[in-house]
Amino acid sequence: MSDMMKTIVFAVVMCVVCGLLLTAAATGLQDIQERNVENDRRKNILKTVDLISPEKQYSPQEIEQIYKDNIVQYGVTETGVIVDPAAIPKERVMPIYLYEKNGKIQDYILPIESQGLWGKIYGYMALEDDGSTVAGFTIYQHSETPGLGGEIEKRWFQDNFAGKKILDRDGQLVSIKIAKGEAEKLPEPKQPHYVDGISGATLTGQYLTEGLKKTLSEYEPVSVAFRKNRLRCRIQTEEPWCEEDAADTN
Amino acid sequence: MLLTRTKAFKTFAVPAWDNNPINVQMLGICSALAVTVQLKTSFVMALAMTFVLATSSLIISIMRRVIPGNIRIIAELAVIASLVVLTDEFLRAYFYDISKLLSVFVGLIITNCIILGRAEGFAMSNPPHLAFIDGLGNGAGYASVLLSVGFLRELFGSGKVFGFSVIPESFYAAGYEDMGFMLLAPAAFIIIGLMAWLQKYLILRKDQ
Repeated sequence: MSDMMKTIVFAVVMCVVCGLLLTAAATGLQDIQERNVENDRRKNILKTVDLISPEKQYSPQEIEQIYKDNIVQYGVTETGVIVDPAAIPKERVMPIYLYEKNGKIQDYILPIESQGLWGKIYGYMALEDDGSTVAGFTIYQHSETPGLGGEIEKRWFQDNFAGKKILDRDGQLVSIKIAKGEAEKLPEPKQPHYVDGISGATLTGQYLTEGLKKTLSEYEPVSVAFRKNRLRCRIQTEEPWCEEDAADTN
Repeated sequence: MLLTRTKAFKTFAVPAWDNNPINVQMLGICSALAVTVQLKTSFVMALAMTFVLATSSLIISIMRRVIPGNIRIIAELAVIASLVVLTDEFLRAYFYDISKLLSVFVGLIITNCIILGRAEGFAMSNPPHLAFIDGLGNGAGYASVLLSVGFLRELFGSGKVFGFSVIPESFYAAGYEDMGFMLLAPAAFIIIGLMAWLQKYLILRKDQ
């Protein structure tokens, strides 16, 4: 056999062996990996509404239990109609997760899918039942540069979002924006809508700002429904800040 | 014959200490900076790296007479890349949280110059058992640096070792603070620099 033939045969055999090995490993482990991803997704949903502590370790069974006890998934159409997620949709249905406690909706959780610098950024944002205040925010998958844009997965960045408002004082949707530098240095009226940026990751911040705005605009009909509820309750009780309990007692 | 005189022992000990891949040869610095914030990630990374190094050296050494000279680098890389993907898949299935923390760095083992360096420089011209031991030795050298850096950074950066708090609360009450700088990559750079200096000094003194 000539050297040329030898080389080609070797290369082909090598490719086949490596290919088979990797295919076997990838398909064999796929089930477990997908279960891990699903578990991680649920963990992130629970994290946005503070149902699990980031300090503690949870087994997959615990996560599943806490998730089943508190979170319900629904679908919502572009006009804001709530539909059963299992039904076959005639139009585009977006997922929404409700955190229910004692039969009342505490928070609603939106999946975030944003463009990033290198790839898609996936996460969740929980909003309180006033339709404006952010309860929590997490990111569970991204491909930003570790140490720069990758900081979006860190707690200091995500903790920033809690308490921020997506509405301005006139009731207009302004979304949450990622500041360049610290949000505290911005003029006072802007502060509730900005979170601290990451130095060295201006572009990631810009992409995420756009992504959040897009998601929040899409879910605006749902948020409006929550705000109306809050307003109705406020008129009934004549309290400046309407508490759920006050509304019930009347 | 003393154990320390055997060729196998030397094959293991030289890369582990005298010719340490990170501190002496200055290879594989990138991952050493990136994954050493916690001891846990350093440990898993060191294990993954040692596994890939030893196994790839072994396989390449077994095949060294069959690999055609003109495509040898590609063949070496195919072996290394397959092992790295296997390791990555395994971690994602059984150690999902750690694999998320390590993010791209397990995949980047492929580009770690230590591995291709050992394959090309040692495994291609030595019998399998020595190649395997050489891989283990280099892995041990890499691991020792990663674990030391990880230990120092976690201890001073977050007051913990393997995730357990070791600095007593009374220290914090008395005004002790964690060094935030230790959590950033430049801290690892400085620690590795100091370790390289110390190790060079010790090696030179021994030689004299």
